[in-house]
Amino acid sequence: MKKIGLVLLLAIFISTGVILQGIAQQLPPGIPREETLIIDQIFRYSIVNNFNLWVSGVPNPTRQSLAFDTLWYVDQQTGKWINSLAKSAPIYNKDFTELTIKLRDGIYWSDGVKFTADDVVFTIQNIKDHPGMLWHEQFNLYVDKVSKTDNFTVVIKLKRPNSRFHYLFTTRYNACYIQPKHIWEKVSDPLKFTFYPPVTLGQYVLKDSDPAGYWELYERRTDWQRTSAGIITRKAGPKYVLTIFYGPNEKKVGAMIQHQLDLLMDLDIEAFQTLLKRNSYARSWYKDFPWAWRDELDIRYYGFNLEKAPYNIKDVRWALALALDVVKLNAEYIGGVTRVTPIPQPATPFHMKYFHKPLKTWLRNLRIEVEKGKYFKPFDESVPERLATWAKSQGYPVAGDLEDLFGIGWWKYAPDVSERLLVKHGFKRDKDGKWLLPDGKPWKITIIAAPDEVDVFRLAIGAADQWKKFGIDVDIESLERTPYYTRQNMGDFICTSSWGMAAGSGASAVIDKWPYAYFLHSRYYKPTGELQTTGNYLRIKSAKVDELIDKMEAMPPTDPKNVAIVRDWLKLCTEEMFAIPTLSFKKFVTFDTYYWTNFPTAENPYGQPCYWFMGGKFVLPYITSTGRK
Amino acid sequence: MENLLKYIVSRFFQWLIVVFVGITVIFIVPRFTPMDPIQTTLNRVTAYSYIDPDAINKMIETLKDLYGLKGTIFQQYVNFWKHLLLGDLGPSLSLFPTSVMDVIRTSLPWTIGLLAVSTFLSWVTGILLGTLAEYFSNRKWSQVLGTLVMCIYPVPYYIIALILVLLFAYIIPIFPLVGGAAIGLKPALSLNFIASLIKHGFLPALSLMIGSVGWIFLSQRSLTSRLVSSDFITFAETAALPRKKILSYLIRNSMLPQITDLALQLGSIFSGALITELVFSYPGMGYILYSAILQADFNLIMGISIFSIIGVSTAALALDIIYPFLDPRIRYK
Repeated sequence: MKKIGLVLLLAIFISTGVILQGIAQQLPPGIPREETLIIDQIFRYSIVNNFNLWVSGVPNPTRQSLAFDTLWYVDQQTGKWINSLAKSAPIYNKDFTELTIKLRDGIYWSDGVKFTADDVVFTIQNIKDHPGMLWHEQFNLYVDKVSKTDNFTVVIKLKRPNSRFHYLFTTRYNACYIQPKHIWEKVSDPLKFTFYPPVTLGQYVLKDSDPAGYWELYERRTDWQRTSAGIITRKAGPKYVLTIFYGPNEKKVGAMIQHQLDLLMDLDIEAFQTLLKRNSYARSWYKDFPWAWRDELDIRYYGFNLEKAPYNIKDVRWALALALDVVKLNAEYIGGVTRVTPIPQPATPFHMKYFHKPLKTWLRNLRIEVEKGKYFKPFDESVPERLATWAKSQGYPVAGDLEDLFGIGWWKYAPDVSERLLVKHGFKRDKDGKWLLPDGKPWKITIIAAPDEVDVFRLAIGAADQWKKFGIDVDIESLERTPYYTRQNMGDFICTSSWGMAAGSGASAVIDKWPYAYFLHSRYYKPTGELQTTGNYLRIKSAKVDELIDKMEAMPPTDPKNVAIVRDWLKLCTEEMFAIPTLSFKKFVTFDTYYWTNFPTAENPYGQPCYWFMGGKFVLPYITSTGRK
Repeated sequence: MENLLKYIVSRFFQWLIVVFVGITVIFIVPRFTPMDPIQTTLNRVTAYSYIDPDAINKMIETLKDLYGLKGTIFQQYVNFWKHLLLGDLGPSLSLFPTSVMDVIRTSLPWTIGLLAVSTFLSWVTGILLGTLAEYFSNRKWSQVLGTLVMCIYPVPYYIIALILVLLFAYIIPIFPLVGGAAIGLKPALSLNFIASLIKHGFLPALSLMIGSVGWIFLSQRSLTSRLVSSDFITFAETAALPRKKILSYLIRNSMLPQITDLALQLGSIFSGALITELVFSYPGMGYILYSAILQADFNLIMGISIFSIIGVSTAALALDIIYPFLDPRIRYK
């Protein structure tokens, strides 16, 4: 009986596992592995074969870089401006009421039709005419009239002066995709149109897709030279690109160990280290420590509802900042792999050049009044050195400029100063050393955090540990994204472990910060309990903030004077400590160099590694085959 | 016959009430959670770019209109029923403007295929093994089987699923890591496609069956244990009836609770099997429902739940009607 059972079990496994179509995952017939770049699709598409990226519910990562295009790009790594479908930078008239766009001649849609000004004019008018399409409201708000003066020149008359209208066509993550007029002009309901199969402006066309949404296969256009990426890079890139969603991190790691995945978006540090042990061809931005790509344009911070006592007191926020040891936060909770930032801007090479390093002297001299007439200089330049010492103690190699490696510095770990700041405002400790609020009640902080955003959640735990050690009762409320955002938007929180723009911390690889600060103007302010929709969930309301935002708005984005205004803005945010910025974003963008090589790296930082951004189109062509089969 | 008709009519009205109340609850509950589908959409589309606050306010109005969220909750409720009675579940809010029916249509066949097959196979296997194990309880294989089930059954499902993935997709990579069928293979009534379906569905189905067979095995063994010592079995054995016949008596007399269990399980498959789908990267309704909840997609949550409500209540209705046919001791009263 036992033997029969075993034989039966074996037979079932062999017949289902092996005889049915060979071993493991296979590419479709006729698609050689050595010509196919396999990239992480990030998630499963719940709707398939819908390429109408002009509506909100259709997935766009990876697709947008392979098949779609727009006028301009800013490379998120280098800050380089790229004229894509446009031949030159935007041309405004003197009062910024008219924008002229010069387009490239020689670009073709994948069905062979030439790309012209008609497509751009049609796109704007079509979106303007149809509520529910993305960019509809902006075009209606700004565009008076759009027309062409010749086949490669578009003129947009604006309803009111706007020196930043071109941002709608300038890509950080994405921007208004251009539609093929000859396809869309026949469409009666643009919201429901699926645009399948997509007629593309990118280097690739869709070859096949999974009816269950797990993968899409793209093939390089035979006329790839007639696309913006082809013209600009003069490189062809892999013949096929397969985007695939393997599932959770451990499955992606498994797939990369088996060389079934060449490029993925992100891993947690533990999964990444497991991968390195099992696949010697795998790596991220750095070959060695700190491995990760740290130049994504965002930061982590602890934000407070500034309308809730005692967080409406600047000194209390400073006290909380000085009760944090950023070296421990970075090393023990994030693996020490990213840079610290004392100002609300990411510590990327671009921003370090324009903001962090030039502000170092100001930071060094910054003083806070601890007691009447007694000042304390909080800036700690030794942070990079301390992080380097920690890294060496872990056996990691530490090479190069320490500031470039770990950031320019952060705030001193000075719980004694925190204590004095709190006592100044009537806080006391009880007999157990726990802090009491000025009204005598125990001080309790609840930090809200979204667990799927792994680093902010880990940092929430880090802050809770350190503030508890300082004597504050802290707990963490774990929330899924939707209730997390709702609580923030309604002001229903005390402290949030967060990321993004609310702390004045939004960024692109440009000097102009108005697009990332305008919503903090008091004209858009909503009090706690009212839904805020623009992003000011910390409830910042300040005449000084208004003044600087007004100055930024009045300045054209390319004006060099912007740098000084933005520095003043960052000084204000830092002095006021609206939120406590901690670390720059990092991602373990990881690639397997078994089949493909020449991915952007720290040694060769030619472009942004974020392939799922629209600008990934200018990086993919550089990836070359190793020749392995 | 008159009794039967009366019974069916009264049960049908109960069914209607259950469905109506269930759908009403599923309409109301998401609207009282701290989730706002419009805010979720705005967060998604404004995450990386600046949008003028005036444009945002206009966008909110447009989205309210397109999502059917204008007016009071009562007005929305009336509109919802008007559309539902025409078979229209509205657009998915997170996958706008794709209709809820289209989203469900994409995933439902995978869920039904996987869960119906694994549920039915587990049921048959569990009942057969449970009955045999109890009837031949003195045999060694029966004791080994019982111990094995007692050991495996309490292991959490996700552990079993992960072990299967690790063993047969990584260490001995004979099964695929992802999907419902091979890459590039189009759905068709061909041997190639069916073989690929079986290969991709094998590990997910096996993982579901392991726990399920365990539960049915134990419950069937328990049900049979009382019957084995009952008079009619003793009489059948004394009369030297063939064992096959005796086993069939045992199975038939223990069927009622098992059929109830099977029907309710089949009725509830519409919600999908989230952990199975995530661990095996297998398509289905579970992931769709999970993302709908995370993204405050009221319409999609309602659409999937309506299928579940109707599925479970219809299964219960069908059971009530067919019980007397299965067990003559039950009467329509």
